Amino acid sequence: MRSAFAYEWMRIRTIRSTWWLTALAVVLGVGISTLFSWAIHHDFSQSGISESDLDGLGPAIVTQLAASGQIPSVVCFVLAILGIFAWGHEYRHGMIRASLTALNSRTALWVAKFVVVAVWVAVVAFVTQVLSGLVGMIYLHQYLSVFGGETWSIIGRQVVFGVLLAWLAMAFTATTRSQAFALVALFLWPLLIEHLIQVFFLLVPGLRDHTDVLRFLPFLAGNRMVDVISHPTGTFGDPLSPLGGALVFGGLAVVLMAASYALFEKRDA
Amino acid sequence: MATIAAQGLGKSYGGKPAVTDLSFDVQPGSVTGFLGPNGAGKSTTMRLMLGLDNGVGRTTFDGRPFVELAHPMRHVGALLEAKPFHPTRKARNHLLMLAAANAIPRARVDEVLALVGLTEVAKAKPKSFSMGMGQRLGLAAALLGDPHTLILDEPANGLDPQGIQWMRVFLKSLAAEGRSIFVSSHLLSEMALMADHLVVIGRGRLIATGPVAEFVNSAQASAVVVRTPDASALAAALQSRGAQVEPGDDGTLVVRGLTVDAVGDLAFDEGVRLHELSTRVATLEEAFLERTAGSEEFQATGGGAA
Repeated sequence: MRSAFAYEWMRIRTIRSTWWLTALAVVLGVGISTLFSWAIHHDFSQSGISESDLDGLGPAIVTQLAASGQIPSVVCFVLAILGIFAWGHEYRHGMIRASLTALNSRTALWVAKFVVVAVWVAVVAFVTQVLSGLVGMIYLHQYLSVFGGETWSIIGRQVVFGVLLAWLAMAFTATTRSQAFALVALFLWPLLIEHLIQVFFLLVPGLRDHTDVLRFLPFLAGNRMVDVISHPTGTFGDPLSPLGGALVFGGLAVVLMAASYALFEKRDA
Repeated sequence: MATIAAQGLGKSYGGKPAVTDLSFDVQPGSVTGFLGPNGAGKSTTMRLMLGLDNGVGRTTFDGRPFVELAHPMRHVGALLEAKPFHPTRKARNHLLMLAAANAIPRARVDEVLALVGLTEVAKAKPKSFSMGMGQRLGLAAALLGDPHTLILDEPANGLDPQGIQWMRVFLKSLAAEGRSIFVSSHLLSEMALMADHLVVIGRGRLIATGPVAEFVNSAQASAVVVRTPDASALAAALQSRGAQVEPGDDGTLVVRGLTVDAVGDLAFDEGVRLHELSTRVATLEEAFLERTAGSEEFQATGGGAA
């Protein structure tokens, strides 16, 4: 197992895409938070503030508005591409046979890939959020403490969401063995397919009474993990609690990971 | 140094057998050529040997299967793909990554790069590499752990004549150190110069295994050629000894089933005067084509007959 970690650690560091995706995540994350903080600062200085304006503001700044529960984390989606590449490069460039002649344990390679990517994503997601919060403090320190209240908890939950999203993307790529398909699916599913399903439920009379099941759509559930606006009534109530969202979204990730492992063990390299 | 022992290897794709009950040994200190027509199952066999494909049978390297080897690159070096690396990971980094998985010192990376002549492009991205340079990098990876066994699938592909000669001398020198070299190639003339032993397969089944000389001599094209003014008398005597005799070009007799010494002794005993007594040794290509006739997976309908 130690050899597999050494291999994966070297692999992730010696490929250019790791660095530009990491840079993109940090720049995009801090950039969005800077713009948002500046806009809020401008608004506060022009119109004044009320107590309710500050609700959830710190979490919104550090998560690039993902804490609103309305949009997924852009930083986590960029970092999930690292997960797609971790398996995608193996199959797209015929590396898998070289990998399995350097490491003859498929289990060790599989575990090392998921762990190393998770650590990388967690660290970058954490650093990006902290930097975003520091930028927010520069603009808004006279109005609120960005890192007060729920912010640290939300940072932790966003890190968990980022790791689960990366694992989901990795498992999907390892299962399909298609980097291109996985890249398309990663963005198409949450941005289009789940919205399409919601519209179906709203427009088809027979489904209209069952819209409550939509909370179990995986990416909608994932959004609940860092949502500070909604007020859940129970773990699997409507809306889901952060824990409920983590269980649904993480559950899908775990199921796909199990499938990818079983197929990786069984398939020809 | 390791003996490779493959026992009962088999693999099917969608019910169609690609490799069937294939068994052979590769001895240390020799280059063993792995021959077969396109689609015969050579690459599949090599992948089965390394546990990359799931199939039946067992391959051991000094008694242990590949998946049980600790730090496998220190035991078995493999080159299975034409360009088995990421196009934008620098050549040296590619090798450092493989070295990290097998606790191989970093200095060895620079050694193998020098060994295959890629020192100058160590920090280049392989996407700019020619096929030959890619093969050299693949060979460097195979040699990284200084293994006792090399399994190489078409390593001469894309190499220029100088590269092919370098590869031949290099592999023979590695074999001379006592290593086991198992190498597939379509370049039969090259294999004739390089290999000591052969494993020949067709449609996934073993056709022949043994020393190259034995394989070549067993071919129909190998024969004793006799020229004599008394052909009918000699032919009758030869046939009475169980030899196959056919008329050759220019009034010669082509004799199979007896050695050149036996034919000469018989002519002497029968009082037949000889004007020529020689052996005609088949080329490896002739022997290969003869033994694999009908076992091609893909047969062209146009062009010249083999």
